[in-house]
Amino acid sequence: MDNESKGAVAAVKGFFKAVGGFFSSFGTAFAKGDIFVKLSLIWLGAGYVRRKQYAKAIIMTVFEVAVILFSVFFAADYVPKFGTLGTVKAERVFNMATMKSEFNDYDHSFMILLFSLFSFVVWFVAIIVWIKNTINVYNLQVMEENGKHINTFKEDLRSYLEEKFHITLLTLPVLGIVIFTVIPILLLIFVAFTNYDQQHTPPTELFTWVGFTNFITLFGGGGLTATFGYSFIRVLGWTLVWAFFSTLTTYIGGILLSLLLNNKKTRMPKIWRLMFVMTIAVPQFVSLLLVRNFFADSGIVNTICANIGLTGFLRNIGMISTNYIPFLSAPGWAHVMIIIINIWVGVPYQMLIATGVLMNIPEDQLESAKMDGAKPFQIFVKITMPYMLFITGPALVTDFVKNINNFNVIYLLTQDVYTTTNQALANSQAKEVDLLVTWLFRLTQDYYNYKMASVIGIVVFVICSVFTLVAFNFMIGGDKEGTYQ
Amino acid sequence: MRKKLISMLLCATMVATVATGCGSSPSDLTNSAGSASSQGSASSAGNASSGGGSGETVKLTVWAAENDQDYLKERVEKFKAAYPDQDFDIQIGVESESTAKDTVLTDIEAAADVYSFASDQLSDLVGAGALANIEEVGEALAMAGKTLDEVKSANAPDSIEAASVDGNLYAFPTSGANTYFLYYDPSVITEKDAKDWDSLLAAAQKAGKKVGMTLNSGWYVASFFYGAGFTTDLNSDGTTAMDWNGTSPDGIKGVDVVKSMLDITSNKAFRPIPDGQISNVFASGDLCAVVSGTWDASVAADVWGKDYGAVKLPTFKVGDKDVQMKPAYGYKFEAVNAYSKDIGWAVLFAEFMGNEESQMLHFQQADQVPTNTNALQSDEIAANAAINAAISEGDIGVIQKVGGKYWDPAQTFGELIAKGQVSAKDDAAIQKVLDNLVDGVTAPIN
Repeated sequence: MDNESKGAVAAVKGFFKAVGGFFSSFGTAFAKGDIFVKLSLIWLGAGYVRRKQYAKAIIMTVFEVAVILFSVFFAADYVPKFGTLGTVKAERVFNMATMKSEFNDYDHSFMILLFSLFSFVVWFVAIIVWIKNTINVYNLQVMEENGKHINTFKEDLRSYLEEKFHITLLTLPVLGIVIFTVIPILLLIFVAFTNYDQQHTPPTELFTWVGFTNFITLFGGGGLTATFGYSFIRVLGWTLVWAFFSTLTTYIGGILLSLLLNNKKTRMPKIWRLMFVMTIAVPQFVSLLLVRNFFADSGIVNTICANIGLTGFLRNIGMISTNYIPFLSAPGWAHVMIIIINIWVGVPYQMLIATGVLMNIPEDQLESAKMDGAKPFQIFVKITMPYMLFITGPALVTDFVKNINNFNVIYLLTQDVYTTTNQALANSQAKEVDLLVTWLFRLTQDYYNYKMASVIGIVVFVICSVFTLVAFNFMIGGDKEGTYQ
Repeated sequence: MRKKLISMLLCATMVATVATGCGSSPSDLTNSAGSASSQGSASSAGNASSGGGSGETVKLTVWAAENDQDYLKERVEKFKAAYPDQDFDIQIGVESESTAKDTVLTDIEAAADVYSFASDQLSDLVGAGALANIEEVGEALAMAGKTLDEVKSANAPDSIEAASVDGNLYAFPTSGANTYFLYYDPSVITEKDAKDWDSLLAAAQKAGKKVGMTLNSGWYVASFFYGAGFTTDLNSDGTTAMDWNGTSPDGIKGVDVVKSMLDITSNKAFRPIPDGQISNVFASGDLCAVVSGTWDASVAADVWGKDYGAVKLPTFKVGDKDVQMKPAYGYKFEAVNAYSKDIGWAVLFAEFMGNEESQMLHFQQADQVPTNTNALQSDEIAANAAINAAISEGDIGVIQKVGGKYWDPAQTFGELIAKGQVSAKDDAAIQKVLDNLVDGVTAPIN
């Protein structure tokens, strides 16, 4: 428990200490190792051979050969061009005899970037293994000098099912994260420093490094459209407003709903709960597209509003100037509608979570509060809510981050329906209702502006991670955890 | 600690999704990596066997829209039959003409060898180097016993011009008259009423019905400006040139065009239809006239009966001058991928998809208006009112040459007018709106 509440500073310290320890034991191994340990620096298997761990020696040798082959036959094609991302453009000549085009040996900037990056990751892993290997063989030397038992290969293998089982378990997930998360993120970060866009699309054109130009552009340095910085601020503002309200409304709504359903006076709570959960069973895009059509300018809700005179009334008091209610097609209206529709989509999830938590509130606390004469509202404010907040705090933070990136609701409700009348936004391909992610999607999907999309992606990442770290430290920092034990 | 780590990873995964969105999903990568390496071997094999390489199987991937799949299958079989000595392995895929560009530009080397696309995507595809320059590979047509010049002269000159950039042909026209015109209900509107907006709106108002048109789309809204002599053009660097905020060669000011448009949109009988909603609103039956294309012919027949009217776009008044609206006039083209392995055969197949027989068949099966001059003469085409209206616009239609930056600002511009958010009396405000529009459209690419 104490470990978890140490806070970020301690964590960073611990990390550097571990790294420092790693290198210092490498230094010791290098200085004090015998000839075989030193030979292991060149031939990874040497130390193991000396200690008769032949299977390990073979594995390490194969690893070494694989890395060398990879470097010579694969990485060597790409890494040397990493500095320029390629210089040779594609050229072709049509050959009538073969009915084929013959290409020169052209450079493909994206492949160079990607495979260089991949090579760097492989080499990074190889260096770690190399250092770790040296430390290992030195440990073996020490063990031999002290006359301790040296594991056979079989014993080593068994240890991965017993005391080192955590390593066995984590290997696959870590590998997955490196391939599917770390490499794409690094790629994204690299692209932000290039001019990869519609004018520089491989294989026909090359792209290259441009330094911080894209970041300067985003934060108002001009160069792109004059309105890009303005649009960024507008979109960021709405993103944060949206994330705040959508999280808050669904959270409160979910708790209230579950309180209502958990109340002893509510009849047939299961039926009610089922009805609310039904929205989860329907795929979100189906219900959202349906709702979008309901609230379209010529949709069914507008027809009803016109028939009961609501449209006329709103026009008379000057709320609208059109002969329909622009639920999803005018700023302000659309903003509010999106948040309201999201309540309907999001509340069932929160209701389920809240129901679970409510059922687990320590009964004795509630009883004693009742005995002391607390009213239901007091119990809610003093016991239920603090308990709720503590338990669901982390989920609340993830919800907020999820809503910053809530592509579905925004895109499905406004795509093809919402047309901005703000020319400054339109000139940067943004709309008032865009979140950073939907804007980013349009920039990449419709305008192939990969470099700016990457920059926005980095900004979203920074916002999300800073918020998450701060919020987590705030919520589960200190001693709060002890209070409820 | 662990919770923090998890939250960080969570964020990381989200960004990773974003990163893969940038056209680098793992499967794509392996695909193109594979194709890159096999490209090397293909060209070296080509060098080695430059004497007689007809023995190997020709592999092609061809794409067409969902509802053209049967047509495409039939064509593929016919194409194979035309070259009995050659082995083919032709794969068929689904890709709509309107979205072909998005798919192709994600990874050009992995895209189909031959696919059809709408003419507004030509500039982006050429800019990205996705299309083969037919002039460079046209000699392959000798296999079909044709020359490139023969193919060009068999099609309407406008269609060839639309498929060319800087005098180089980049695709084969397969169908034309992708445009919009005026449908009207002959029981409410006479043919004479349908000639200009004033009489059209007056007749509609008398009958208590509406005239519909989409304005929040760069495709439709341009018709007023093209009519007044304004232009859009594509610069060689991919940016768009636009003069709508000035005075046209016909001596009409852009501000006055906007005023005339506001006159129309402020009329009670006018109904602005959001982009993509025309068919729905049309079917609702509130309209007595609507601006739409051949794809709505069956809706018109359902709503107003078989004798529905279809004529070219009406004129509108600027000051006291009658100005003929000029629609954007588009085509569908058959593309040859510049990175096709068997590019010669790809050219042959693309040309085959655009020849007279194919065009005629496509018209019979899917109402696609031919561009082939012989096919255009046929009696079947003369009998179709909507198609006739579309073809009749051939001489006023404008091939819309715009870059990617045109669409969003133009859509917003149309929306401003449709919603009446600029005052027809405030010249300075209108000028500002036009200046903003031109700023956005002519902005440098990225």
